[in-house]
Amino acid sequence: MTAIRDLAPAEFEERYRCDRFTATVLTNRFGYLVEHMCARLLTSAFSPILRDFYDFAATITGPPACGWPTPAMSASIVLFTGTMADSVRNTVEEYGVDRLEPGDVIVANDPYRNGTHVNDLLFVRPVFHAGDLAGFVNMKAHQLDMGGVVPAGFSIAKRNVYENGLVLSPRALYRAGKPVHDTWSLIFDNVRFGEILAPDMLSIVAELDLGERLLGETIERYGAAAVQGAMTYACDAAAERMSTALAAVPDGTWVGEDVIDCDAAGDDEEYRVRVTVTKRGGRAEVDFSGTSRQARTCINATPLDAKTTVGIAFKYLFDPEGWFTSGAMRAVDLVIPEGTVVSALPPDGAVFAYWEQSQVMLSAVLRALAQGVGEDAIAGDRGSADIHSANGVRPDGSSWISAAQVGGEIGAYGGNRHGDADSQMLSYQANGIGVAVESVESEVPVVVLRHEPVPDTAGAGYNRGGASMLRDTLWLAPARHHLMSLRYKRAPGFGVHGGGEGATGGIWITDEAGEETHVAGMDDGVYRYPYRVPFWETRTGARLRYVTAAGGGWGNPLEREPERVLRDVRDGYLTIEGAARDYGVVVTGDPERDPEGLRIDLEATDRLRRGR
Amino acid sequence: MLGVDVGGTFTDVVAARDGRIEVTKVPSSATDPASPVIEGAGRLGLGGVQVFNHASTMGLNAVITRALPKVGFLTTEGHRDILDRGRIWRPPARQSDTSWRRPFGDAARPLVPRYLRRGITERLLADGSVHTPLDEEQARGQLEVLRRCAVEGVAICLLNAYVDAVHERRLRELVHEELGEGVAVSISSETSSLAKEYARASTTVVDVLMKLIFTGYAHRLDERLREAGFAGELNFADCAATLLPWNEALERPFRIVFAGPAAGTMSSQRFGEALGERNLVCCDVGGTSTDVSLVVDGAPFVDNTFELEHDLIINALSTEISSVGAGGGSIVSISPTGDVVVGPSSAGSDPGPACYGRGGTQPTVTDAALLMGLLDADGFAGGALHLDEGLARKAFVSLDSPLALEQRIGFAFRIAAANIAEEVTNVVLRRGEDPRDFTLIAYGAAGPMLLPAALDLMHVRRVVVPPHPGNFSALGLLSTDLVYYDVRSAYVPLVPEAAPQIEAVFDEMERRLRGRAGRDGEVRRSFDGRLFGQSWETPFVQIPEGPIDVADLVERFHETYERRYGNRFPYIPVQGVSYRVELRVPSEKVDFGLPRGGSDSRSRSQSPRTIELRHFAGEPLEAAEYERSALPAGARLSGPAVIREGLATTFVVPGQTAEVGTFGELVIEAA
Repeated sequence: MTAIRDLAPAEFEERYRCDRFTATVLTNRFGYLVEHMCARLLTSAFSPILRDFYDFAATITGPPACGWPTPAMSASIVLFTGTMADSVRNTVEEYGVDRLEPGDVIVANDPYRNGTHVNDLLFVRPVFHAGDLAGFVNMKAHQLDMGGVVPAGFSIAKRNVYENGLVLSPRALYRAGKPVHDTWSLIFDNVRFGEILAPDMLSIVAELDLGERLLGETIERYGAAAVQGAMTYACDAAAERMSTALAAVPDGTWVGEDVIDCDAAGDDEEYRVRVTVTKRGGRAEVDFSGTSRQARTCINATPLDAKTTVGIAFKYLFDPEGWFTSGAMRAVDLVIPEGTVVSALPPDGAVFAYWEQSQVMLSAVLRALAQGVGEDAIAGDRGSADIHSANGVRPDGSSWISAAQVGGEIGAYGGNRHGDADSQMLSYQANGIGVAVESVESEVPVVVLRHEPVPDTAGAGYNRGGASMLRDTLWLAPARHHLMSLRYKRAPGFGVHGGGEGATGGIWITDEAGEETHVAGMDDGVYRYPYRVPFWETRTGARLRYVTAAGGGWGNPLEREPERVLRDVRDGYLTIEGAARDYGVVVTGDPERDPEGLRIDLEATDRLRRGR
Repeated sequence: MLGVDVGGTFTDVVAARDGRIEVTKVPSSATDPASPVIEGAGRLGLGGVQVFNHASTMGLNAVITRALPKVGFLTTEGHRDILDRGRIWRPPARQSDTSWRRPFGDAARPLVPRYLRRGITERLLADGSVHTPLDEEQARGQLEVLRRCAVEGVAICLLNAYVDAVHERRLRELVHEELGEGVAVSISSETSSLAKEYARASTTVVDVLMKLIFTGYAHRLDERLREAGFAGELNFADCAATLLPWNEALERPFRIVFAGPAAGTMSSQRFGEALGERNLVCCDVGGTSTDVSLVVDGAPFVDNTFELEHDLIINALSTEISSVGAGGGSIVSISPTGDVVVGPSSAGSDPGPACYGRGGTQPTVTDAALLMGLLDADGFAGGALHLDEGLARKAFVSLDSPLALEQRIGFAFRIAAANIAEEVTNVVLRRGEDPRDFTLIAYGAAGPMLLPAALDLMHVRRVVVPPHPGNFSALGLLSTDLVYYDVRSAYVPLVPEAAPQIEAVFDEMERRLRGRAGRDGEVRRSFDGRLFGQSWETPFVQIPEGPIDVADLVERFHETYERRYGNRFPYIPVQGVSYRVELRVPSEKVDFGLPRGGSDSRSRSQSPRTIELRHFAGEPLEAAEYERSALPAGARLSGPAVIREGLATTFVVPGQTAEVGTFGELVIEAA
């Protein structure tokens, strides 16, 4: 097929039913459209998972007749966007394209059909033009509760779909603009926190209204044929960019692996994700054969999650700019055996903490690709979302909940050829808002005592990774803590291109009498398994410490300029001992009392570095 | 009345006297920014001037380039990394871009390096109670480090200090004891007493930086203006283009960090008043970027924060201005799949577009406009610069593209117009407004040339090119009021019993503001609130003066919320978060001139020259060329037409008409 750039104007118009200029204009418009829908939901949402964590996404989909192209996916939570192209199609096909009417909203949440987990409710609004189905605007958003045995669902101990939560097969939430009573009742008879879910769902529908209006105006202006042609164009262009970039990498076959420590049924079994990436010309195959069997508790993922994560890894390395589209994965084939930890089956392969599995998949794919892309490789991030949640009752009898606010949610990226990594991010697959300490303390009986990087933890490298983040909290009321920490056994922040790996993390509780318990992590070679109790209970005055894993380094640390090492010592990212050990740089002086008086001993540095 | 806008490249000075507007431009000086101001003011004459209004982008430029004084930052021990963290999020468009770093983070370019951010042993809780008393010995030890490092200023932001300032105030005393009276200090509880530590800390840091940048400058400027015979009031404009007496501005100078573009919005608003237009899109197309803002129902959109770089926010009221990297100097390139791409990189003023002949080899929008015949090679920028068509053509030929040369040129111009149109649409929609209710004011050197071509993409009613489009922003400085404001946080459920507490907050702020202003003015109250369970506030719920009626506050909140988000949740309780008072003291303003008559017979007899326009729509077009100054009010012409004036060119595309209005404006509409 002729490359897009080489198409003559007539060929271009024949293929995309608009001229090249219009195709460019519309591609941009699709991207803006989904961002508008997200921007307004973020600031009007009630659930902390939406308003602070940005746990939602919006997409546009073209009509079935065009092959369901998805030309733009919002850049909010990347984990959703890859699954949405397929889940919108699966949902509408199962519901029945012929049953759709203007003003409908179709919802669905089954992970085995849609990817991600039951809390992520998909909302689909068909858009009609002149009586014809012209496309869809869609949102997927995490609902604070979807039923199941654990409030808000944040537990990795659930063992099957029945414990996990309410499963909604595709059904109408609105028909022709009117709410469907059965569906609302089904949901609200089964979920908790209805006072939060109801306004959140109404706000989401308001964003579908906005998206529908914007897409409608665009069709009005350019015509349905041109708009649909441009949707196809946006996907074709993404596919071609990916394929062109792949073709520029030498052919090869690379294996990557990474491991999850355990599930909540015991620490007798680790879960391994293994990928074999075979790259030939402008195409690649990613084969998950050799991946562990599905886990016994809900840390599993589904094939659509695997597809998304592979897409994210490829996008980072081969087509980093712009919006994700359904064309991005056209050049990549997936082989996924059934019943693995990334392709779990109902009813026993329960799916909740799919994102932890996505983190491990991402590590495995990035490790494999690092062998093929040379200096473009990116080091591992801290490898987990490390979400903490807690709840309890205040002395006055009122209840409180803290979700994803004061645990290990903020952590490091890995280094790459562009420079050192940030220490305070979410993860490679999430983007969101950090909650202010002052906001948390005004709502939750907790005091954040400190939150800072730990020296000498960042993966060493010519460009270093981000550091481990330590957060100490003091609890002013009795609390019950739920942990979702699955990667404390070995360092997830792998180094690349000669860089070192980041430190591992851990969790500690010090009770009100000063007695310390190592809750999670490695303790002199012994693994402290965090799920040895169903949850951790603390009394007033107890302290909780999280130390996240650190990011990996990029490039040879012995080649890092001594001035940059000195600056890290001055700024407390390295100690004087760490500088000598990891970088072979000898720094003298007192970093704490006289940071500007630090000096590099060039001669000693030279000696040390030559000896390595 | 004089206004001066100190930009990075030029210092623009405008004067309004007896209904006449005079303008001049002086090259800016990085080392002595006051001199061009004095020179420009001297040219237009300082005698008898009562009001001198000053805006500058110096503060923002210093932050963006990190040409900053050395300052320390003190915060609660264990929390010095709030300045590295920001609010975590990355820009959506850079989601998978491995080259992105948080621009102010420790891995990139922090405003204050980590070793100058020091933790102090102390801690207040959210209810204001003392968890750990201030450890003065420990604090003195930290200050000794800052003294050894010879910092010039110190910003102090302690956790929960918005509830109680006691530790911050004592710490300030210790700073002066240890570092001397001369060191500049800002404390967060006085600079911006709002909850959420990151924005308050970053505001406090920017504040102390601006004290160091502006204090000496302002004193010098005032002194030299007085020596030059000026005897009136010197005012500084802030991020919302409202004015403050200069010595008041220096009390909390974070407000004046960026005060150029907002003046363009003011200018549009004022011009809109003259025209009787209350809904405006204000669109300033310059060399490197386009700034877009809105005036809705006669008032600019004001935000409660200002973002200096991605997520580098300060708690300053600011005119909401959105920028897109599309201007005359935007570089044209070809994407791997063959799309013509315009911007976001720019050739700037040096080397500038290829046709400037200063070494630029990449084609720009200006090069496209020259090759199309829109720009006059010898009449550019008032004839100051000769444009070279050969170099412009060479630059377009050098692009690696399957497109024919004429398509590259035509597409580049139209994509630039389309990019601006997207941003305009974006800004209008984000505010929940419908573009069809808006008139677009086109200014900046390239605005009148590019914007009419985007008229049909933007869905706005019409494009208006005001008089003096090249200096229109600076005119905004002569269109604004003096505004004193203050804002406080208190999380209060809006129940009837809360009325006394809210009233007390407003009363105290108003008393202080009147004291500072030394005179009275119009008081405007507003609050930012949220529905219980939300974490983002719905800002600027307007409320009347007088006794607080909580039921009325709640109703006004629901109205504002519904307008913004399309839903109404009357069953969810409302929580007040921040309370704001503005004291507005009217100031003298520019008069946009007397209506121009249509009786000038010389201009009526102007018969246009015909020129050829190429590459715009396939075949060359015959276009009429007019001199703007010679067009009388009431004159009406049809596109394609080109209207020239000293610092701008207006392009009326085929299918449009332009009519000269009573104030000399060009009103462009679809025919």
